[in-house]
Amino acid sequence: MALTIQEYAALTSLIAAILIIAVVLFLIFTAKKYEDKEATKAKVYKARGRYFLFLTPILLIILVYSFQFLPYPQFQKKADVVVTVVSAQWYWLMAKGESEIPPEEFIGDSEITVPVNKTINFVLKTKDVNHNFAIYNSKGDLVAQAQSMPGYTNELYHVFTEPGDYLVLCLEYCGLNHARMTATIHVADPINEDRKL
Amino acid sequence: MIELGSVEFNQHRKLIITWSLTLLLIFPIFIVLGLLMRLNQGEVIHLQSTTFYALMTLHGLGMAGLLFSFSLAALAYLIGTRYTKISVQFGWFIYALILIGTIGLAVATLFGKFATGWYLLYPLAFKGVSWPHWATGLAIISLIILGVAWLLGCAHVVYALAGKYGGFHKLLGWQYLTRKQPKEELPPIVLITVVSLVPGIISFLAGAVFLVMNLLQHFEPTLAFDPLLLKNLVFFFGHTLVNITMYCAVAWVYALLPEFTGRDWKVNKVVVYSWNATFIFILFAYFHHLYMDFAQPIGLHIIGQVASYLSAIPATVVTMFGVIVQVYRAKLKWSTFPLAVLLGMGGWAIGGFAAVVDSTMAVNKILHNTLWVPAHFHSYMLLGVVLFIFAFLYYLAYGKEDHKISIGFWLFILGASGFLVMFYLGGLHSIPRRYSDYMSIVTGSAHADGALFAKISAFFIYTVLVGLLIMYITLIKDLLTSKKDMRQST
Repeated sequence: MALTIQEYAALTSLIAAILIIAVVLFLIFTAKKYEDKEATKAKVYKARGRYFLFLTPILLIILVYSFQFLPYPQFQKKADVVVTVVSAQWYWLMAKGESEIPPEEFIGDSEITVPVNKTINFVLKTKDVNHNFAIYNSKGDLVAQAQSMPGYTNELYHVFTEPGDYLVLCLEYCGLNHARMTATIHVADPINEDRKL
Repeated sequence: MIELGSVEFNQHRKLIITWSLTLLLIFPIFIVLGLLMRLNQGEVIHLQSTTFYALMTLHGLGMAGLLFSFSLAALAYLIGTRYTKISVQFGWFIYALILIGTIGLAVATLFGKFATGWYLLYPLAFKGVSWPHWATGLAIISLIILGVAWLLGCAHVVYALAGKYGGFHKLLGWQYLTRKQPKEELPPIVLITVVSLVPGIISFLAGAVFLVMNLLQHFEPTLAFDPLLLKNLVFFFGHTLVNITMYCAVAWVYALLPEFTGRDWKVNKVVVYSWNATFIFILFAYFHHLYMDFAQPIGLHIIGQVASYLSAIPATVVTMFGVIVQVYRAKLKWSTFPLAVLLGMGGWAIGGFAAVVDSTMAVNKILHNTLWVPAHFHSYMLLGVVLFIFAFLYYLAYGKEDHKISIGFWLFILGASGFLVMFYLGGLHSIPRRYSDYMSIVTGSAHADGALFAKISAFFIYTVLVGLLIMYITLIKDLLTSKKDMRQST
C-alpha cells in the first residue's frame, strides 16, 4: 500500500529521532570514560567527514528530486474543469468556470460536484482576509491546499482519484470562526453513475 | 578577557538574576495559556473562541519574545562580564522596555481580546474583528516597543564587540581564512553572537516597517497595503526571531561547555565557514513560510527550500559534531548543565529534522499549517532552547559545582517529550493548527483523533508544570543566594 506524504514525513522523522536518541544515549554512557582529546578528535573528525560526504549529496539529491512534485500551476497539466472559489469570513463560495466578477460580487455555493480522475483547477480569491483552501478526503487526510490572499489569485490544481465527499477547511487563521469555515466537494464518477442508471 | 571590579560584576549579576527570575515566573504562565488551548481542543473545557484566540496570540508572541529576550540578556551578561564592556544601565532600560511591551500585549489580549495570532497576518487586524479599536492600537504599539528594545539591545552588543574585536569582517572571523594565524583569538561566542544578532537587527527593521504600516492603517483606515509584501515582512521578522533564539543559546553552549569537559572549543576555518554560511541561511530560509502563496515568485520558494536544506549542514556537521568532540569519553560527571546541553542538542536535531522535512515544497503542500508545524518548532524550543536556558540558569546558580540532577528535570523531559509526540501525531493525522476546537472536522476520525491527542497532551503539560515546580524549589533559592563569580573561566 502506498504511503501518504504525511506517513512518509512521520516515518522518516521517527527513524531520524530514534537515531538521534541512540547517539545521545551513547554519548551519555561513554562520557564517564576517559580518552585523550586528540584521540577523540581524530575519531570524531573522521566520522564527521564521512557524515558530511553522506549528508551533502543526499540533501542535494532529495532537493532536486522533490522539485518534480511542485504544486505550482506552471508545472500542471491543462485543467479539465475550472472552479472559482471565493473565500470570506467565514464561508466558501464555489462555482464552475473562471469568473471575472470581483470577489465582493461573486455568487456561488458551499457545495460543488466535480468529476473523478480529471484535472480540476481551483481559482482562489478572497473577499477580505487571508484564507487557505484545504481539501480533506473521507479518511480525514489532507490531500491539497493553497492560500487565498486579498488582491491575488492563486490556482490550485488537483486530480481526485477516488469518488466521494471531500471536506474543505480553512487552514489560515482568519478570525473567530476560522475553525467553522467548511464546504463540501462531491467527487462523482460519471461512468459508474451511468452504469447504475 | 576583561577585568571587572566586584561592584561592576555584581551589577551585571543583579540584572541577569532579575532576568532569570522574570523568566522563571512568566514561562509557566505562558505554558498555562497553551494548556488551556489544548484542554479546549480536547473538549475538556469550553472557552469562547474570542478567548481561545486571544490566549493563542499571547502564548505565541509571549513565548517567542520571552525566550529571545532572555537569550539576549544571557549573552549580554556573558559578554559583559568576560569579553568587553556592556552597559548595565542600558540593560535595565531594555529590560524596562520589554516589560512595558509585554504588559501592553497582555492587556491587549487578555482584557481587549486582541486575537490576530502572533503574526497579525495583514489585513486581519482590520477586518471582521470582534475586539475594540484600542486593543489593536495597544498591541501594535506594544510590539513596536518590544521591537525597539530588541533592536537597541542587539545593536549595543554588536557595537560593543566591534569596539573590542574590530570591524564586521573580523567579528565574522574572516581573519581565520588567510594563511596567517590571527594575532588575536576570536572567542566562538563572539562569532555566533554576531551571526545571530546582525540578521536579527535586519529582521527587526523589516518588522518595524510592517508594524508602522499597520499602525498607519490603524489611525487611517482608508489606507491599504500589499498583503503579500506584508506577509513577507512579518515572516522574515518572526522566523528570524525564533531562529536566532536558538543560535544565541548555542553561543553560550560553545562558551560554557568546555568548562565542564576540560576540552577547549575554538574558532577555526571550519567554524568560520560554517557560521558565515549560517548567517546567509538565517536571512533566506523564511521564504518556506510562503510556499502555499502560489502568487509569490517561484524563485523565492526555491531559495527558501535551498536555504532551509543547507542550514542543516553547518548545524549538524560543525556544531553537533563539536558537542560530540566535547563530551565523548571526556570523563564527564553529569550535572544539569552538560546533560541539558546534550539533550538540548538532541531536541534541536529532532525538531530540525522535522523542520527540514516540512521545508520541502513537495511535502509542505500537505503539512503546511497542520499540527506538524507547532510539533517541530516546539521540539527545538522546548527540548532545545529551553534546555539550553536551564543549563545557563544552573550554571548561574552552581557554576561548575557538582549537584544532584533534580527529579523535576526528568519530569520536564518526560512531559515535554509526550507533549511533542501528540503534536507530531496531530500532524500525521492532518489536524489543522490554530483551531479552537476540532468539532467541524467531520471527516474520517479527524475530530476524535484531534481531540484525543489534545487531551493526552494536556496530561503531559501538567507533567511539565510539576517538573518545573520541583526544579524551582531549589533553583530559585540557589540563584538568589549564589554569589558565583565565574569570570576566571573562559
